[in-house]
Amino acid sequence: MSWLSRLNPRGPGSRSNRSAAPSSPCTADPETCLMVFENHWRQVSWVLEQRDTSSFSDDLTAVRNNTDQMLCLLAEERPAESADSGSCGAPIGPILELVITENILERLVQWHVRRGLDPDSQGALLKLFEMLIGQSQQPLLQHTAVLHPLLRLLGACADPELGCPPALENSLVLLLNQVCVSMARQPVVLEMLFHAAPAQQGSTNLLIFSLLVPFIHRDGAIGQQARDALLLVMAASASHEAVARYIAENSYFCPVLATGLSALYSSLPRKIEVRGDDWHALRREDWMGVSSLVLFMNSLEFCNAVVQVVHPVVRSQLLDYLHNGFLVPVMGPALHKSSVDEMIASTAYLDLFLRSITETSLLRTFLRFILLHCHDNDTILDTLLTRISSNSRLCMVSLSLFRTLLSLNCEDVMLQLILRFLLPCTHVMLSQRRAIRETDMYGKSANKFLSLIPECCRLNAAASAERDEDNPFWSKVFETFIVIKTIEKSVNISTPPRHSTPSRLSFFMRQQSGGGGSGGGGTSTSTNVDLLQSGPSGSHPLSPDSPKHQTHTEAFDWDAGYLEYLKDARRDIELCSWACRDWSAPYDGENPSPNTSPPPPAPPSSNPSVTLFPEHFSFQREGNSNTPPNQQREEAAASLSSEQQEEEEEQRSSALDQKLTDVRGDGSVMGVCSPARPLNQPASQPYTGPFMVVLFAKLENMLQNSLYVNILLTGIVAQLACYPQPLLRSFLLNTNMVFQPSVKSLIQVLGSVKNRIEAFAASHEDFPSMLRKAQQYLVARGKLDWADSPAAVPPLRRSDSLIKSRKPSLGDLILRHTNSPTRARHAAQLAFAHVRDGGQSLHSALFRGGSAGTSSLEKQAEALRVKNAVYSAVIFCEFLKELAALAQEHAVTLPFPQNQEAEE
Amino acid sequence: CSLPPFDLFLSRPDEEQGGHADQKTSPARTSHKKHLPPIPKNAVPITKPASVGTPSHLANGTHASYGPFYLEYSLMAEFTLVIKQKLPGIYVQPSYKSALMWFGVIFIRHGLYQDGVFKFTVYIPDNYPDGECPKLVFDTPVFHPLVDPVSGELDVKRAFTKWRRNHNHIWQVLMYARTVFYKINTAEPLNPEAAVLYEKDGQLFKSKVVDGVKLCNSHLFDQPKVDDPFAISFSPWNPAVHDEAKERMFTFKRRPEEHHKGAQVSGLSWVKPGSTQPFSKVDSPQS
Repeated sequence: MSWLSRLNPRGPGSRSNRSAAPSSPCTADPETCLMVFENHWRQVSWVLEQRDTSSFSDDLTAVRNNTDQMLCLLAEERPAESADSGSCGAPIGPILELVITENILERLVQWHVRRGLDPDSQGALLKLFEMLIGQSQQPLLQHTAVLHPLLRLLGACADPELGCPPALENSLVLLLNQVCVSMARQPVVLEMLFHAAPAQQGSTNLLIFSLLVPFIHRDGAIGQQARDALLLVMAASASHEAVARYIAENSYFCPVLATGLSALYSSLPRKIEVRGDDWHALRREDWMGVSSLVLFMNSLEFCNAVVQVVHPVVRSQLLDYLHNGFLVPVMGPALHKSSVDEMIASTAYLDLFLRSITETSLLRTFLRFILLHCHDNDTILDTLLTRISSNSRLCMVSLSLFRTLLSLNCEDVMLQLILRFLLPCTHVMLSQRRAIRETDMYGKSANKFLSLIPECCRLNAAASAERDEDNPFWSKVFETFIVIKTIEKSVNISTPPRHSTPSRLSFFMRQQSGGGGSGGGGTSTSTNVDLLQSGPSGSHPLSPDSPKHQTHTEAFDWDAGYLEYLKDARRDIELCSWACRDWSAPYDGENPSPNTSPPPPAPPSSNPSVTLFPEHFSFQREGNSNTPPNQQREEAAASLSSEQQEEEEEQRSSALDQKLTDVRGDGSVMGVCSPARPLNQPASQPYTGPFMVVLFAKLENMLQNSLYVNILLTGIVAQLACYPQPLLRSFLLNTNMVFQPSVKSLIQVLGSVKNRIEAFAASHEDFPSMLRKAQQYLVARGKLDWADSPAAVPPLRRSDSLIKSRKPSLGDLILRHTNSPTRARHAAQLAFAHVRDGGQSLHSALFRGGSAGTSSLEKQAEALRVKNAVYSAVIFCEFLKELAALAQEHAVTLPFPQNQEAEE
Repeated sequence: CSLPPFDLFLSRPDEEQGGHADQKTSPARTSHKKHLPPIPKNAVPITKPASVGTPSHLANGTHASYGPFYLEYSLMAEFTLVIKQKLPGIYVQPSYKSALMWFGVIFIRHGLYQDGVFKFTVYIPDNYPDGECPKLVFDTPVFHPLVDPVSGELDVKRAFTKWRRNHNHIWQVLMYARTVFYKINTAEPLNPEAAVLYEKDGQLFKSKVVDGVKLCNSHLFDQPKVDDPFAISFSPWNPAVHDEAKERMFTFKRRPEEHHKGAQVSGLSWVKPGSTQPFSKVDSPQS
């Protein structure tokens, strides 16, 4: 309700010094005021009573001057303090009483209207009424003597012939805003507006409302005032069925809002100006400078706010219009554009929208569109999935979108992406099915993951241990461990662990850890109540300072930070299982039953064109069995406008395309990439779904991926591994599970990456030093980011908790600094300073491949290849620790009970 | 160090019913911890002999440092399983000093041993889970055919002749400890006297058991024999202390440690129970 609370304080007091308000002649004595008022009224009424309608401008001036004074007096008047107020409402002041009995305002407005309302007087009247309603010391609008002339004036503004000249729009919206504010304070006014109006205004009986609607999407203050005012009406409608019906049935509010979004969307940039090789998602800093995007986000935010406060009748209509008037006809085609730039832009926009929406039902509308809507026979989801396999920035933007989707912890999303493929349990050998529910009780899986850390990466760490003799592994471990221990006992020992080893988390977790520099251990909640809820975590049974730990001191610098991973894994799993506690089923291999669940869609049959243009992969699914019939109807209904829209967009974009491809070479669609899924696979073979297949293919290809792709990619797999559903957990983390031969397991993929890294290391003599430098670079970069305050959370969100619950995952943080070019430059400089110690600086060789002068294109490509491989080795090791930690933590996590009663 | 009282609802009759089981197990720990004063700074925990979990160099011998994590996590996982089992009338709490030692108490609600409140300690072998089965020793030797009259050790081995990882879990030992009081077995007894009496003279056996229970309960409020901050200790009901604790146990709701109040977005699901189709739930106007 923050919109409303933001609106309400804007009362009379805050606007007292407006220039429009004429200075009041007298504020002191009520009787004097009444006399002055009567005096003015006598003069005015004399003019009004002139039969001659073709009055002179003298009359007008006289009336206007007197009216100004009168209305000021009325606004200043305080309600009478008489004791006999008991019966109906507050006692009214003498001036107001006179206004009512003489019907002064009505006569005034009628006089103006009769003599022909020129824009000047119209504006003056609008301002006068606005002043009156905004500043009045007593409630006015419940008196028909005030309300009716107001409606008459507004009716004139709505009059098709007279209308409201653009110059008066500000005054009009301001007045309407004032009316809505006082209406929100006195719900009875809404009732009166609603019932009183028809007699006066005919068809459009909620005049205020129809006048405001055209301003919904306006830029600047006027748009904001209109939206604020409308939102007040919407909130009021929540408890007034009739008003809600009126809005839904007789107003254009919902269609205007929804199609307005379409219009605003079409003016968004087709190409996002990219500022660095790691950019992958729109942050607030990115879009605040783009006025068209600001405009769109304002309107989207407004939709979100309306959905939050409005009556269900209006809400469901609005959501329908958003689906059929915006998502289907506009977002759908936009996501299917053929130019990579446009795909990047539309994907990034969709990601931004999803991150910005806070209302569950609005989110549902978006998700339903993504999961179920078919555009050219593909669901939006399928289209988005294929983009992951591209090797351009499109991949990163798509990964970022999926990260957002996964962070919703939404059952429907997970069902479509993965679970429906795992439900039949055909991916597991029959004998293994009961193992689905097992957790990694004895650390076997964790051990298996850790054993995949390539030998060549360990050597490096052993060497680097010498450097860090002042900070041996176990002392760090103790610090963290002690922190964990002491938290239990509410003793706050603050020992910020140092991040001298490139734990992937330590670069990335800055934001989540919340405490800026301390980055983990010390910042966890230390109130004793919280601890109690941690279940078995309270029982770290082994004491940290036991001597046996010390026997291992110093040799294992490379695995420093494992406790950080454990701690993070615990938190992430807890949050995830908390978020999933109301799912419809446990997905444990028995419920839903493997036998009753419908067979998942078979892998798509091979299609030769597909391998050439991975961006255009499409799943040839016969019939849209997933689409409920009513949706198909909706789609049909929406298709007309959709086609028109598409045509327009097509024209515009093709012109744009032309320009873009001329300017930039990277507009091409081609990309070397691994196939998104095994082709030529018989349909009967178990298939774990396109998402898993494409993620694993991408993962297997880690050495060729850029650092940033790998960070996002491993972040997503780790995110998936947090889910507590045994089907998914066992698929990813149970390394003992035996799968059907056609199903690739995560451990197989990782094993293959390990071999590739080792082969690469064997063929590069200087691998150890390159690896160390890459680590140093990442640490330097991570530290720099870490030191920065994590202030830049997307502020569009209104609730902090929501930010938390949809936190950007790991990869986000390292990538964040791109948004600030200076910071990026600092990071680079610092890294160079850090790294440029030996003659063979990794970065002069790799980062500035072009500057060496002699380097040819080939050399650059080779340098890039080396760079990617070295960085991927660093990420790979950290990823393995992360997975091991997740496997271990799953075994000690307690499930949360279902949420039976409503949350606080 | 003197410990605040620890209450376990000695007299709640409905405890046997499963309904509150969830709140029983963990909050019992909870309240204990809530009243626990900070560990004195100089209380150096005693560790088990150095052989504990000394990891045989694993796989290719390079990541042995994770060994302690594995043992620790295995025991934490066991403890998690205990909590999940919601064993009726059984409470355990790992010792502060060693994860291989768990303190416990068992309440007998009916049968021959009715009203018995028996404290015990579970000792887990340090090569867990590959060693023998854990030992369970009653603090006061209970008069029972399967309990050693001198040491108080329960004959656990007869139920777990070979401890098999993945199949045997500590909660099963606890469950077994409960069962022996309801289904009395006299074969190969550790306490032959009790076995013989049970077979030959039910009345005398019964009166000895009652005496034993009385004796045990008369020592209920004694300080724990072991000086460990997590040892279980009882005190008479003191409303000033216990009412609030009890209230908190009943109102307790576990949340993620970093859960933020008001996070509404969690738990998104529009799947109708029993369906595997997304958005199969009828759209309620509320959401």
